Parts: sequence; C-alpha cells; structure tokens
Amino acid sequence: MIATIQSATLTGVEGRPVAVEVHVSNGLPSFTIVGLPDAACRESRDRVRAALLSSQLAWPLRRVTVNLAPSGVRKAGAGLDLAIAVGLLVAAGEIEPREVEGSGFIGELGLDGSVRAVPGVLPLVAALHTAGVVVPAVSVREASLVGRHVVRAARSLREVADALAGRAGWPSLPEPAPASGADEERSEMADVQGQRLGRRAVEVAAAGGHHVLLCGPPGSGKTMLARRLPHVLPPLDREEALEVSRVRSAAGLPLPDGTLPSRPPFRAPHHCASAVSLVGGGTGQMRPGEISLATNGVLFLDELGEFPASVLDALRQPLEEGVVHVARARASCTFPARFLLVGATNPCPCGEGGPAGACRCSPATRDRYARRLSGPLLDRFDLRVRVERPSAHELIGRHDNEPTSAVAARVALARDLARQRGVRCNADLPAGALDRWAPLDGEARAILERRLVAGAVTARGLDRLRRVARTIADLAGAGELIGGEHLSEALALRIPPDQLIGGATW
Amino acid sequence: MVTAARAAAVTVASLPAMTPQRLAKLSRVAGRSAPAAGWAGVLDDLRRGGEAALHLARAALGGRPDADGGGRSQRLARRWSAAARSVEPEAVAAAYDAAGVRVLLPGDDAYPAALAADQEAPAVLFCRGAAAGPGPCAVAVVGTRSATHYGKEVAAELGAVLAAHGVSVVSGLAAGIDAAAHEGALAPDAGAGGPPVAVVGAGLDVVYPAATARLRERIEAVGTVLSEAPLGASPEPWRFPLRNRVIAALSQLVVVVESHRAGGALHTVESALARGIEVMAVPGSIRSPASAGTNWLIASGAQVVTSPDDVLVALGRKTVAAPSGSAAASPLPHLELTPAERGVLAAVESTPVSTQEILERTERPLGEVALALDRLDAAGLVRDCGGAWVLRSPRSPRRDG
Repeated sequence: MIATIQSATLTGVEGRPVAVEVHVSNGLPSFTIVGLPDAACRESRDRVRAALLSSQLAWPLRRVTVNLAPSGVRKAGAGLDLAIAVGLLVAAGEIEPREVEGSGFIGELGLDGSVRAVPGVLPLVAALHTAGVVVPAVSVREASLVGRHVVRAARSLREVADALAGRAGWPSLPEPAPASGADEERSEMADVQGQRLGRRAVEVAAAGGHHVLLCGPPGSGKTMLARRLPHVLPPLDREEALEVSRVRSAAGLPLPDGTLPSRPPFRAPHHCASAVSLVGGGTGQMRPGEISLATNGVLFLDELGEFPASVLDALRQPLEEGVVHVARARASCTFPARFLLVGATNPCPCGEGGPAGACRCSPATRDRYARRLSGPLLDRFDLRVRVERPSAHELIGRHDNEPTSAVAARVALARDLARQRGVRCNADLPAGALDRWAPLDGEARAILERRLVAGAVTARGLDRLRRVARTIADLAGAGELIGGEHLSEALALRIPPDQLIGGATW
Repeated sequence: MVTAARAAAVTVASLPAMTPQRLAKLSRVAGRSAPAAGWAGVLDDLRRGGEAALHLARAALGGRPDADGGGRSQRLARRWSAAARSVEPEAVAAAYDAAGVRVLLPGDDAYPAALAADQEAPAVLFCRGAAAGPGPCAVAVVGTRSATHYGKEVAAELGAVLAAHGVSVVSGLAAGIDAAAHEGALAPDAGAGGPPVAVVGAGLDVVYPAATARLRERIEAVGTVLSEAPLGASPEPWRFPLRNRVIAALSQLVVVVESHRAGGALHTVESALARGIEVMAVPGSIRSPASAGTNWLIASGAQVVTSPDDVLVALGRKTVAAPSGSAAASPLPHLELTPAERGVLAAVESTPVSTQEILERTERPLGEVALALDRLDAAGLVRDCGGAWVLRSPRSPRRDG
C-alpha cells in the first residue's frame, strides 16, 4: 500500500514542496529512501524507527520504500522525519489516509519520539499548499505568520498519531506572547549632535534608496548615523516583512516575538567576518549570509577598507541585481540581497586626513589605503560625504535637532512620489526614464554643464547625480523640475572619491 | 648616441649593482679629461674579467682593503663581468635612443654648466626633453609630498611668477609641493620662462609617481627631465638623496615651501648649504605640521619668503618687494552678490573650510549653501577642494576641476 504525505524541504531561503510516498510490501525487511536525500535525510531511517518504537507504535517488518518526490530535487535536513513516520503509520493501516489529506507535516524526530524544530519553518510552511500544517510546538508562531494554514502543534509523535487516529484531540496552541514595544533606543536622530551634513545624507539616502559612504575620523559619529537609518526608513509592508522573516528563518535565527517585523533590518558584520558568512553559502546546507539578512533593510560596513578585496568584490552582483548566486560543487542557490548599503571609512590609516595637514601618514601609506577601495566599488555609492567630529560648541550647547519622526515623515512622502513613478525608490529609476522623471531647469543645467566641462562630473556619474537630485527635489516638495539648488546639494553630497580618501590633505 | 665610446659609458652606467657613487669612482679611473674614450676602456676591462675587472671593482668600492679579504669586490667584479659580457653596447645605446633619452657626460656642451663645476658632479646624466638643462637663471622650489592646500597654492604662485620672469624652475616631480611648483610654471598664463627642469630618482622610462605622468610630459615638451639612474631603474629610496643634491647643484637659490620637521626637502637644503647656495623658506601656521620644517629653517637663519617678490629680490631681478600680505585674497567688489551668497562668502577663509563647517557658521540649509557656493565658484571667488572650500587668491593660476 502507498501512503502520500505532504511536506517540504529548504533550498536556500525558499521552501519546496515534497511529496513523501511510503510503499510497504512483502519481502525481506528493508528500508530504503530514494529521491536524492542528503546525509541527514538518509539518517531519518534510524530516527523514525527509534521514535516509532519509543512511542509504542509499530515498526513494519516488511520491505519499505520511501520516495521523496520530485525525485530530481535534492532533499536536505531532517525536517522530513515526521512526514516519513506518519507515512509509515498510514501505509501500515494505523491511520486513515483521509485524515492526512490536506495536511502538511514538518519536523525532526528525536529518538524518544519528540518532535523537534528545524530551521526555516516559515519558508517551508509557505511552500505548502495544504489547508493545514503540523509543525513542532516551538515553531507554531513562526508557521502562523504565513497566514494561509490551520496550524497544529506537535510535541511528540505519539500525540500526532493519537490525534490523527482519532484517539485524542490536537494539543492546544501556546498563547501568543504580547507584542513588546518597538525598541526606541539608538533610534533618535535628535541625539546626533552637529553633523548637519551627515544627517542630511542619511535623510537623502533613506528617501531615495541611495547607497551612502561616510568618510571621517574616528569619533565623528559614523556608526551613530548608520544606526539611525533604519528608523527613518518607512516600515516594512507585508511582502517585505515576510521576505525578511523567511531569510531569518532559513538562517536559523529566531523571529522576534513571533510577529512579522515592521522595522527594516540592520546588519553590521565585522570586517573579520568570513566571505561565506557575509555572502552566504557553506557546504551541505546553504545558508543565507549577512547581505541576505539585510534585505529590505540596511547593511552597514564599518571600516570598509579593512574588508578583504574578495568580499567587496562579491558585493557587486547583489548591488546590481539585488540577488546573490552562490554556487557550490553539489548545488547552487539564489538568495535575495536587496539592501541599502552604508559604508564607513577613515580618510587615511591614521584617521585624521583633512584639515591643516594633521595627517601623520606618509603619501605611500595613503596611496595604499586609497587603493584598497576600488573605483568601481566607490562608484556604487550615490552619496559620498565627509563627516567631522562635532565641535565643543555643538556637543555642549542646547540645540533643537530634528527628531526621527520628522525626518521619517519626509522620507515617507519622498518614497510615495517614487512609487508613483513606478519604482520602489528613486535609486531604481532606469537611465532611460531620467529625462522624463528628472528634468532639469535652466539653472540646474548650467551648473551641470560647468561641472562636466571641468571634469568634476563624469558621464557615468551623471545619471547617479540626477537620481540624487530628484530625491532632494522630492524631499523639498518641489514638483517636477529639478532646480539649481537641488542639483548643487546633490553635488555637495557626492564628493569625488579621490578627494575623499587618501587624497590631498587640505 | 654618436660614438661607441658614449655607448660604453651608457652600458657601464646601466650595469646592475651600479650606483652614482661607484660610477663616479669608475669615471676617475676612466680619466676625467677624456671621459668618453676612457669609458670604452672601462667596459673592455670589465668584459675581460679577472684582474682588470677586480681592479675596477675595488676602485668603485672605495679602494679600501676589504674587511672580508676581498670577497666583496670579487663578487662585484664577477657580477659586472657577467653583465658586461651579456650585453652589446650598440644595443644598449639603441634602446636609449629609442626611448628618446640623451646621454650627457662632463665635458659635453650640453652638460649643465652648474653641474660641471660641482664636486659631486654626476658622471653620467640622462635627459629627455626639449632642452638639456636649465636656463642661465635657475631656482629650486621644493617641499613635502604631504602638502596642504596653502603650500600647494603658494608653490604654484611661486612657479608662475618665476617662470614669468624667465627663471627656470627646478624641482623633483614629487607629489605635493614639487608638482605644484611645476604646474604653476607651466600654467598657460605664466608666460614663456626659462625651461623648467625636473630631476627624478628613477629611470626616465619609469613613471613615478603615476599621478605626475601628464605633468612630466608637459615639462619634457618645453624643458627637460634629468636623472642619474639608468633606464628601468626603480625609485629606490636611496636614489632620492642623490637626486636632491642634483636639484640643489643646478640652482642659484633653493626655496622650501612646506616641509615637516624631517623630510627630503631638508636634505636638499643641506646639499645647497654645502655648496654655498642660498636657502629661503616660506613660513606657515605654527599649528600646521607641514610648516614645522620651514618655520624651523627660518628660525635657523634661512631667508623668509613672504611673497614671490622676495625671491625675485634675492635673485637680483627686482629691487623692491611688494608689501607683504598683498598675496592674500580680497573679493572683487563689483560683483552683485545676494545676501545668501555674502553670508556664505563670509564663512569661507583663505585656508580650506569644510562644507560642514560652513553649514554651522551660516546656519542655512545645505541646498541654499551649496547653490551659493556653486555661484561663488563660477564667479571665481572660491575654489572647491572636495568637501571643503577656500577663497581663491587672485594671483593663483586658474586650475579648474
């Protein structure tokens, strides 16, 4: 007799439905799993056997074949244990087939029959098109986020078998925890003293989705500014929140409070982190990296020049396409990687750079430092600004700095305007559409021409400049035409890299 | 390359493990009176190897009895012999011709007169460019590679004024002050001056630093680039003090624009003082490390440069200097400026002020300030230093971008 149970397996951050077919027939006792199971999956045999026996359920002494369909797709992990066990029970006649129709089963089995959590429950459940789903008790909240299924908790194989056989009811679901208040610490823009230029850069970056490079001496508030960026970005909509949760789930990270997040994620990997942890991959089960965890949020790379060149190079594809392809010998995978990049760097190794020749570095050292950040990478940053340490006057005096809410409101309006143009944000405006959506008025055109002639703006930088100017005009509520003021501001926020890093001291 | 003898000189100069000092000692063996002919003999000896080469190696190393019983000179002799045998002087000479490099030996008409009389004259000098050396009046303008905007502006002004008075500007083609001085001397409105001369430490085919490649071409077009190093020699650190002595020896006056408390420019100063050449220095802010060396020079007795005229007076080209402070910028009063622009202009100084700082001083939004700065830039009143702005001095050559 053949039993078919619905389950799912994880590929990257996406789940794929798997139909577990269990065939029990006469013949010498054997148990084979086919359908490209990986090592952990093949070990299901032993776990399922022990779990069944521990649960006082029958283990068939016959010839058993388990097929994990579709057979061409590699199945990874132990999440199919529960489905296989239930399939065995159905094939042995212990459970009626109709009881399992319309339900998906996900979970790993312990030798004592307990049902254990597996990473990626959210994408796995999202891949199932059944009416209901049975998941480990600890993953119930995560599974409920998808919203399409009737979710049942399973603590042990015995409970599942009893419920399916009609001997007992399903265990009740745990109480949802009350949603805690959003953490307001490290979110207040008004806490940043001085830094008018830096604060404005953060606002423009958020409003238009422009990648921003902050260059300045230690203690100039680069990290502070970067941490406030997610708070001025608009909150995640449902699709984006689900994507963020799927990636977190696939990475094995806990979902806070079991609710969908509203604030964009903020990831700040250290420059000593390995390339794999940053980009994603790994042998065997491929896990998403930091850049995927930052999708729909902010990726902050402090000390940009200290990251290995290979890692910085690996960023180019995600920055261009919004995804990262990770290929290994056995399999390849595509993870989402659409983030707002914030880079921070010192102007030179001693950190001072700039004013009055305070820099203690030799020209050769400065050149080496500047060479670490390649031209193409620096070109990706739409905004490149110099931040300074706040003066004593600014630190001590009472200043009315704008609070986060005010900035966030303007950013939200600017984002709305971008959506009306058919893009997620102004940074996504295609080059061909710039003439239509970002026309320049006479004064702006004159300013631009002068700069082009002087070589201060390159032809490639021109498009980026116009997008930034468009965002600035949106923030000012200026209407269709981009004016001289907006273009000048865009130029001021976009310092040529060779003058910013390792370049001439003032 | 006219004769085989000159080819021999070039070949010897291009041998591995050859330095200007060793070359000078060999040239004494070759005979100062007929240097070209003597080189052919030197090359033959080296090729022959054995005692003849050993004798030359000992002479090159200073003629002192070797501490390790002659091992060093033997190794050197072997090395030179092997290298000398593996090249054809004609091929070497052809390579230099192909690169457009001329060879100057003491005694040649083209050999710079100022060097001919020098105690440590280069035994073999390579040059490339329209001229062979400086004009009758030459001034060295040197300084640190980590120069500030102030230093570069002063160096450029100095270069321009000197060139306008027919003086040859001599410098080292390093980043910072050296490059700025020659940029000023070559500026289109500087007038036809004496040929600019750059002296470099590496071989003439090695472009170092890379950023000065274009400047080097422009100097070669009207002046000359000199080097004691053979083609292909890399800019090793020990070549630079040697090059600095050549800069000093070529000049009637050495002006240091900016220098840290320790730096290559100070070595040029030493070489100048040893030759009785006058040294002048430009003062700077006591808070600026880039002026620590020049301020120290002034305190030690160097003449002060408060305007380019001071240099002209020291040369005897002018009798009265313009009053000091006239090099400071003053805004042209006849332009119409809006109140916003006046406010922004007032926030800019003659040393660079960051955009951030200007925002704080004016307390206006970035868009307004940026637009005002752009208009002031277009009017020629301020200059963009990349994140900072500075008042444009009326005499500084207009370098846009």
